[in-house]
Amino acid sequence: MGGAVASVDRPERAIQAQADQGTTEPVDFALIGHQESWRAAADVLAALRGPDRMHLPDDEVKDILPWIPPRTVCHVEVGSILPTKIDGPTGATAHGLYIDSFIPPDRLEATHVHENIARVRGAAACAIRAGARIVSLGGFSSILIEGNFDQLPDRRDTVFTTGNTLTVGFIVQGMKKMCVLEGRDLRKSTLLIVGATGDVGSGCARCLAPLVKRVLLSARNVERLRRLAAELRIDEVQVEIATDCLENNLQRFSAEADLVICAASLASPSHLWGRIAPQAIVCDAGYPKNLSPNAQMPGAKIFFGGLGQITGGLRFRPDFHGILNRHPFPDVVHGCLLEGMALALAGRFEPFSQGRGFITQKRVEEMETIAAGHGIYLAPLYNADGPVGDGLHGQTEWSRACGDGLMEQAEVPSAKTEKTAKTEGMARIGVS
Amino acid sequence: MNTVGRMEPLITVNCSTMECASLSPSAPIWQDVLAQAMTGELIAAMNYTSLSEICDDPNELADALEHAQIERGHAARFAVEGRKLGVDVSNNVDAKHWKRLRDAFLGCITERDFIGCLIVQEIMLESFAVASYARVGKVAPGSLGKTFSSIAAEEEEHVDHAMSILRAERALDAPRFDDKVYRLHLDVMTTLAKMLAKECRDGHCEVCHGNCVKPSLFEVSLSAAELRGASLQQYLKTLDMLGIPGEVTLTWVAQLPV
Repeated sequence: MGGAVASVDRPERAIQAQADQGTTEPVDFALIGHQESWRAAADVLAALRGPDRMHLPDDEVKDILPWIPPRTVCHVEVGSILPTKIDGPTGATAHGLYIDSFIPPDRLEATHVHENIARVRGAAACAIRAGARIVSLGGFSSILIEGNFDQLPDRRDTVFTTGNTLTVGFIVQGMKKMCVLEGRDLRKSTLLIVGATGDVGSGCARCLAPLVKRVLLSARNVERLRRLAAELRIDEVQVEIATDCLENNLQRFSAEADLVICAASLASPSHLWGRIAPQAIVCDAGYPKNLSPNAQMPGAKIFFGGLGQITGGLRFRPDFHGILNRHPFPDVVHGCLLEGMALALAGRFEPFSQGRGFITQKRVEEMETIAAGHGIYLAPLYNADGPVGDGLHGQTEWSRACGDGLMEQAEVPSAKTEKTAKTEGMARIGVS
Repeated sequence: MNTVGRMEPLITVNCSTMECASLSPSAPIWQDVLAQAMTGELIAAMNYTSLSEICDDPNELADALEHAQIERGHAARFAVEGRKLGVDVSNNVDAKHWKRLRDAFLGCITERDFIGCLIVQEIMLESFAVASYARVGKVAPGSLGKTFSSIAAEEEEHVDHAMSILRAERALDAPRFDDKVYRLHLDVMTTLAKMLAKECRDGHCEVCHGNCVKPSLFEVSLSAAELRGASLQQYLKTLDMLGIPGEVTLTWVAQLPV
């Protein structure tokens, strides 16, 4: 499959880590994640058991999974569309690991925060031991750690990124795309961000606030809300705030907004159900994705935000195709994980996204350019009912053709052409 | 080679009547838990005694004999705890699962495979003992809980002792070492997984004094699923310490019977 991302000298410690593991394959990146549902967890265990053994009954899955210590589940190889001298026209590749923290899907609430941080720490330790050069924190992993990087183990030569910058980029791109598809004018829109003071929520606010008529911010911490609102008002943005505790305010906000980004780390954002204005465009930017168009928000145009698609090829070993990536389109991955892969492909082993509240439009553009340069674009849009808009065709060209034109600057080849070339002989993931 | 049949009353201990409490409703449950633990300790004692017979190094021989003595001491302490509860703690080293585990160890003895012996006893059986004793220690009342916790800690020291030897062995030839662990895993851990399954699908375990104790464990705040989970977690962590790749051991454990 070609060499690792090339031209990047591997530190001695990383080489020693491979020797300890009895492997010779470099670990350019590691992806830390967890399963978002018991169904997904059962499928992972079924794949590990192999086709000849019976699938575990649901009760056994729930009994077994919480006891599994964080560990590598599979090797991951990601391809770039950017040709290199070493790899020739097939493009560079980066090698990595998918490490599952095995946070049980029903233990995402705050009551389990200490246990879950311990699991993320354990997963981080696995990545460090393996000599990974950059680690992306997926799903709740980044939420748990974004404000607590000091809780990660001794990092040696490994750097960590929450991946939130690229997540914000894809959320913003998705919102722009939906507005075009639905014939909405961003400049006349009222945008509500739920979970506005989080890293992702505040990043979305900074990127979209200058583009809309009015911004409504909702979160639990009123002081952080005030600080963010004050920051946005410097640019003369019309901003109002509401804490989640003030039900009346949030109810009013929900009814007034025609664009909504749900970026709150909620297992189930039930307080929004039935309150969103009909025909509002709603981006489910949380993890797990749990907003359903018909049952919870009739009339709303919901899409799952923060997802990107790799056009240079993605392979798992062993083959977890369709299991670790449960999307209706091939090679779709959460933006937070894609950030680490894109940085690895670019040979930029740096903690691009760290801490909370530092994501700016400029940083998002920088990250999008890095990703696009290696063929990583906004994924076709979809929701729990299936594809949305041009997602029906499952292509990625649109994402480069719309929005602020950023993607064209990367001068990337046709995604469709590259995908055809790169995916021959490669296992595909995420095909429903 | 030591092959000992039903060992009751191998252990004789004196327990004053003052120490014996009146029989509590949970006593029959603890009786079975203790019977499993005592049987495991006696198997361990027999394994170390067998190991001493293939040790060429006098220090290793002394260590093996010392460990055998310690395991017999653990069995005796479990017997004492039974008497405090007012129950006799039986044991059966010929019970079907335990006998298979013993046979797996004896297979390594036959091959004079010192490393294989350590893998079976220290990595596999001790993982089970350390984790399950620790869980029992958390919920068992009074001295019973303290005894389980204390023995769990001592068993953990055994694992630490073996770890340096095994890590050094793996450093010589990791693929060969990992193959050996996997071969033994298939035999030993499959048997342990059956023992730890939520239900005994192969009939009576031949250690419990009446019906299977597993369905009653909830009455003492335990469950078979919890003991299995904790044991497999300990096993995976121990394999991690050896340096065997996590994705490999995850597959091994995922493929065990339930």
